[in-house]
Amino acid sequence: MVIMGINEEELFASGHRACAGCGEALALRHILKAAGRKTIVAQATGCMEVVSTPYPETSWEIPFVHCAFENAAAVASGIRAALNMNGDKETNVIAMGGDGAMFDIGFGALSGAVERGHKILYIVTDNEAYMNCLALDALIMTKDGLKKITEINVGDEVYAFGQKTNELVLKKCIGVFDNGKKRVFEINTNSNTIKATGNHPFLVLQRNGKQGQNNFVWKMVEELKKGDEIVSLKKGLEGKSFNFSKIDLSKIGDYKVNKINEVNLPQNSSPELMKLLGIYVGDGWTRINKAEVGFALPKNVKGRKEAKQLIENLLWSHCLSENENELHINSINVAKFFDSLGFGKGAKNKIIPQWVFTLPLKEKESFIEGLMLSDGYKIGKSNRYTSASHELLRTLRLLLQTMGVRVGKIHKQTKKEGTLVVKRTLLKESTYGYVCFSSKQGALLKYASQNKQRNYLFGNEHFETKKIISIEKKGIEPTLDLRVEGEHNFIANGIVVHNTGIQRSGATFPYASTTTSPAGKIISGKQQPKKPLPFIIAAHGVEYVATASITNLIDLKNKVEKALKINGPSFLHVLVPCIPGWKIDPSNTINVAKKALDSWVSPIYEIEKGTLKLNQKPVQIPVEEYLMMQGRFKHVTPDITKKIQTYVNDRKKFLEENDGKKIFDVLY
Amino acid sequence: MVKNVVISGSDAIAEAVKLCKPKVCPMYPITPSTLVPEKISEFINDGVLEAEMINVESEHSAASALFGAYAIGVRAFTASASNGIALMHEILPIISASRFPAVMSVANRTISGPINIWNDHSDAMSERDQGWIQMYCESSQEAFDTIIMAYKIAEKENVSLPIMVCIDGFSLSHVYEPVQIEDQKKVDAFLPKYNPKNILDIKNPKTFGPIAFPNSFFEFHEQEQLAMKEALKEIPLAHTEFASMFGRKYGNGLIELIEMKDAEYALIANGTSVGTTRVVVEELRKEGKKVGLIKLKTFRPFPKEEIINSCKNLKAVGIIDRHVSLGSEGAITLDVKAALKDEKVRVEGFISGLGGRDIDKTRIKKAFEILEKGGKGIWLK
Repeated sequence: MVIMGINEEELFASGHRACAGCGEALALRHILKAAGRKTIVAQATGCMEVVSTPYPETSWEIPFVHCAFENAAAVASGIRAALNMNGDKETNVIAMGGDGAMFDIGFGALSGAVERGHKILYIVTDNEAYMNCLALDALIMTKDGLKKITEINVGDEVYAFGQKTNELVLKKCIGVFDNGKKRVFEINTNSNTIKATGNHPFLVLQRNGKQGQNNFVWKMVEELKKGDEIVSLKKGLEGKSFNFSKIDLSKIGDYKVNKINEVNLPQNSSPELMKLLGIYVGDGWTRINKAEVGFALPKNVKGRKEAKQLIENLLWSHCLSENENELHINSINVAKFFDSLGFGKGAKNKIIPQWVFTLPLKEKESFIEGLMLSDGYKIGKSNRYTSASHELLRTLRLLLQTMGVRVGKIHKQTKKEGTLVVKRTLLKESTYGYVCFSSKQGALLKYASQNKQRNYLFGNEHFETKKIISIEKKGIEPTLDLRVEGEHNFIANGIVVHNTGIQRSGATFPYASTTTSPAGKIISGKQQPKKPLPFIIAAHGVEYVATASITNLIDLKNKVEKALKINGPSFLHVLVPCIPGWKIDPSNTINVAKKALDSWVSPIYEIEKGTLKLNQKPVQIPVEEYLMMQGRFKHVTPDITKKIQTYVNDRKKFLEENDGKKIFDVLY
Repeated sequence: MVKNVVISGSDAIAEAVKLCKPKVCPMYPITPSTLVPEKISEFINDGVLEAEMINVESEHSAASALFGAYAIGVRAFTASASNGIALMHEILPIISASRFPAVMSVANRTISGPINIWNDHSDAMSERDQGWIQMYCESSQEAFDTIIMAYKIAEKENVSLPIMVCIDGFSLSHVYEPVQIEDQKKVDAFLPKYNPKNILDIKNPKTFGPIAFPNSFFEFHEQEQLAMKEALKEIPLAHTEFASMFGRKYGNGLIELIEMKDAEYALIANGTSVGTTRVVVEELRKEGKKVGLIKLKTFRPFPKEEIINSCKNLKAVGIIDRHVSLGSEGAITLDVKAALKDEKVRVEGFISGLGGRDIDKTRIKKAFEILEKGGKGIWLK
């Protein structure tokens, strides 16, 4: 059936792996509808070829061939010549590529093929970029411990999965990218949770049956299913005791300072200090104005004796005071010291700071013991730790993962006032969470071969595979991505993820930020104008050159049909918004394309036998409206906006002045 | 009708191509290969070869259009040399992985730099790992015959690999020799029509060149390696058929043995230096020296068994390599050493004739002398 002249038959089958909202897939689908079944497509290497032809699958209902990056036009020449020799003048040949394949690396082949005059339609689906990313709360394993993705700087060393050796390796972060607000998904395993955009790649175990070798493949979030096994961190590298930097201590003679402040503060972390800090995280507080570190440890509690012993071992017993329910260390300097360690204040804001992640296993274990003495208990062989702080549970879960401990998901429960929670009666209704964990050694070693079947990386000291238990669609959140040298992956929330990129092309819009033309302190994104490819092709003496927009599908269809009727070369430029590259929301593809059209950033016109004709002359909206929708222009200042506006206006003026005129007169 | 003419090696190639009737010839000229596209475009424009000449703007596009033509399923041909082959480099393994039985003539010329237009084998040898069969020629007649054999071998279904027919730049491409040009009907009888199964066809749409993830890429490569093994069987078969039909033979199509029966010392050579070495062997034999020559006609797939069988009883074997893998040795030397690793025979590599330096009788004699005296392989400058 034909509706509004657009064929209902789909020649670009659904199920391809393009991003949700991909402008290029949309353009392609409609180009094929217009071209029909009697068409052969030669496409350059790129996004579309990758997402549409993962061997042995294909989305192409018509003959399709892909050869290399820059030669779609040359391959199409061979096809056209062979068809001619077979006496077939009817079959349409379309050479298709992105902006790299047509504006840049493949420009020579395009120019050559156009000059030779083969009857081929050349289409550039111009997306100006590509990329994908992680949500902002992702915690990254670095040499200096666990850091929020927002705290990572270029040059930081981050842990990565060595894909050749399956080993844990340290690699330099060579880029941090703000990807703007995006829809994110939450992926859960029994012990990890991470949020990422739909096109972020994860390392997934691919089982190839009993006979085959298993291997790892990168899969995008959208391709992940429940039950997929993803590579995650099991145990970090052995750390070093942490060296405490100088803190501003109070001196003898200062206000409120008395003899008990003559305490030795430790230079380095130790198992004893860590155990006390473990108790402190659960049951402790610091009051600097009272020069006090307190522990809520009633006399009947096991932890009290243990804490007293630790305080003695740390040579602070001369500051110790106690009553029925509490222990106090009365020292302004101990209080300042504890306060500086970064464990957070208040029951709901507790957190395990990043330096704890860099400690030796022994000290981490002591810290966990301390935690268990306060808010933990055992159920059978399993340990359970309870806290009102979600961040504490989240960081604890990751800390346990660096220790080779089996850890479960974070459970949440709301308890009514008066309920007994870990030896304490609640004074009001509270929401608590808990995580369970157990040492995994014994049983696994006993049934090694069985476990190998279940866990492909069994025996690997640092990594294991874990099953995904759920994937949920979450809201729209700000996102970031990292670029890591060499291995191109990093460990986010304990899961191995891939980094990505976005590179400038000759088609990149001026001032857009890319990884090869970043928005820096001195140079603000791409400095050059867009290569005027349609005009360059028209200057070859091509009979029909046009630009089209995905916002006007009837116009796109008409142009494809018109171009295919030309008995010689023809050229079509389609601007296709790229979700990750432009940093836009998947639901905004058409809106952004519409703004591109209405702001005259990407006007639609034809150059037929050298004569320019504007197909649509919208009332111009400010270019700012187009720019502000996209993360790649986030850095743009009012000054630059002005420059872009001028650039757009100049082009608009040129087009309007020459509308209806023969601009390539000599050639016809 | 059989014709006996005196023509250059390049013309011999063009004449053979004409008889094989390719339908598409994307070509870009480069010295010393230029005579081939010139002659073929003449044939096309005179209407004696029904084909479309694509005057591509680069060798990269020549290889790409060759790929495109084979995707439609027609026989095609291209020719190049030197930096042209280097520019094609990216596309060559895609053609072989796509299992397109393309044929390309190479007028071997060194790769720049410094720039130099003369002969050595560095252009073809640099592509030895790209899944192309490589056959070298000693004479214009052999070039003519090898083109015809090449299409036959390449198009065998169990082979389905592209072939480079290599002739030495200038020292063969521009040398005029008597050539017997065969009758079209006889060639048609030897080389049937090309009818591939997998083509781009709007009636039966297929996808070519999909992305192969790590779970399948390995297998694609493995199949190419198996096809190379098949080629080791098919080349002698096609050669035998050719010999019985046309009365000319080149060893068994893989290697040719000259005075090897009782030889104690031998050289392995390919291309035109074989001719010179033949003369030297003849002269040394007259002096009573037990020397022989192995002509390496086919370099890829490497005829390992043939090399082992012909060399294992020698005292020493030397290789005349017109290419050096910088930092290592000559490409043929490396393969011969690997083949003979379990044999007692001493293997010495001689690098010679780089950038068009002559490989004359004196240099060949020097190589034999070194072998006999138990010396090491040297650069025969």
